[in-house]
Amino acid sequence: MSLPPAVRERGRLVAGGAVVGSVATPVLVAGLVALGGFGPLAAAETAFAFGGLWFGLALLGWAGSVASGRAIEAAQEHLDADSGWTERRSRRAMARIGGFGAGMMLVAPVVGTAVG
Amino acid sequence: MFPKRFVLKRLLLLVPVLIGVATLVFSILHLSPGDPALTIAGERASQEFVERIRADLGLNDPIWVQYVDFLGNVVRFDFGESYVINRNTTVREIMANTLPVTLELALYGQLFGILFGIPLGVLSAVKQDTLTDHTTRVGALAGISVPIFWSGPLLILLFAQVLGVLPTSGRISSTFSVSPIRVTGMVTIDTLLAGEWDMFKSAVRHMLLPSLVIGVYSMALISRMMRSSMLEVVRQDYMRTARAKGQGAKITVLKHGFRNALIPVVTIIGIQFGGLLGGAVLTETVFAIGGIGTLLVEAIEVGDYPIVQGTVLTFAFLFTLVNLVVDITYSYLDPRIQQ
Repeated sequence: MSLPPAVRERGRLVAGGAVVGSVATPVLVAGLVALGGFGPLAAAETAFAFGGLWFGLALLGWAGSVASGRAIEAAQEHLDADSGWTERRSRRAMARIGGFGAGMMLVAPVVGTAVG
Repeated sequence: MFPKRFVLKRLLLLVPVLIGVATLVFSILHLSPGDPALTIAGERASQEFVERIRADLGLNDPIWVQYVDFLGNVVRFDFGESYVINRNTTVREIMANTLPVTLELALYGQLFGILFGIPLGVLSAVKQDTLTDHTTRVGALAGISVPIFWSGPLLILLFAQVLGVLPTSGRISSTFSVSPIRVTGMVTIDTLLAGEWDMFKSAVRHMLLPSLVIGVYSMALISRMMRSSMLEVVRQDYMRTARAKGQGAKITVLKHGFRNALIPVVTIIGIQFGGLLGGAVLTETVFAIGGIGTLLVEAIEVGDYPIVQGTVLTFAFLFTLVNLVVDITYSYLDPRIQQ
């Protein structure tokens, strides 16, 4: 059974961000241990909280884009001050950032359990 | 017709917003320095005692376990007990006492802003480039420019010290006790519901100056926005057509212009209300009214994390709720927005 194209596209955006986030987590943990003087578990916990920042910001940005994006686009057009910002591109960007944060939040416990 | 689908979509958007705010608050508090267990125990406490508190609060669990627990508690609106400010009292109880204070202040401030800002804006636009317009514009500019920490003490000085007609601080005269008649927590409403007229008069007198201080800024912004929006609307073709068909100037402005000019003003009112909730901190401090804004500042200063989390999430919830009302109002003012 194949998923509808719109769902696949959205899934690809989030998954792309999540892959980058999950790769970045061990790198961040290693960096915090090596350079920041953190213990391995504390570093994994910091990476989790860091991922939470991206995830939370992205959720707010995504919801804001969905709620007011079209109105902002229309206002820019009406005021003849089009900056090229669109609701669709904002949503896509937020989906990627959210995926990145979610990836970090999912991988950090795994890294923490492995090293802690 | 009630825009059900539109409202449902907006209500569903509350879910990611609240999860986003909860996650952000949780992450920021965990990334910021400070140990809650040490804050509660005090600097002189033994290591054993600190460890026991840490275990009691679940701070020994990994952060991801704490996060899942936290989200579960947020859904039940349970933020635990205050660490420092009001020990052994739940955050819910503390907020039930302080939130109505700020809401009351913000509501009256906003009411003042709307009642005076909208008519002044319309008047200024209709009488463009006359003395009335110039006076209103200068007044609005002054209202936006003057900070609360300056206008507050000045008004206290004038009305309380020099004229002696209004009280300087508090929510009601110290001779009255509002606890027995408490229903909403808003003193003016509770006294009115109980039919205690002397108490009601005292509450209104206490609320006048703070509402005026907080409302002047709101009024100035609303009147400026209303003026520019109205000026744009009165130049539209449909307004000219209405006048060409013989309709009177006043009716044309009020019937055709006013509703269309209100759309951007409603946006400002919604954003302003959120600003008033947060900005009430200064007014609460100047007039010694213990509201939720003051509570938040105090909680951040002493590291009372449960109160910070509860307060910020409540602010976010109220703000999104107000914006939901604004969106619904839009759809009434301009049904095309529902599309």
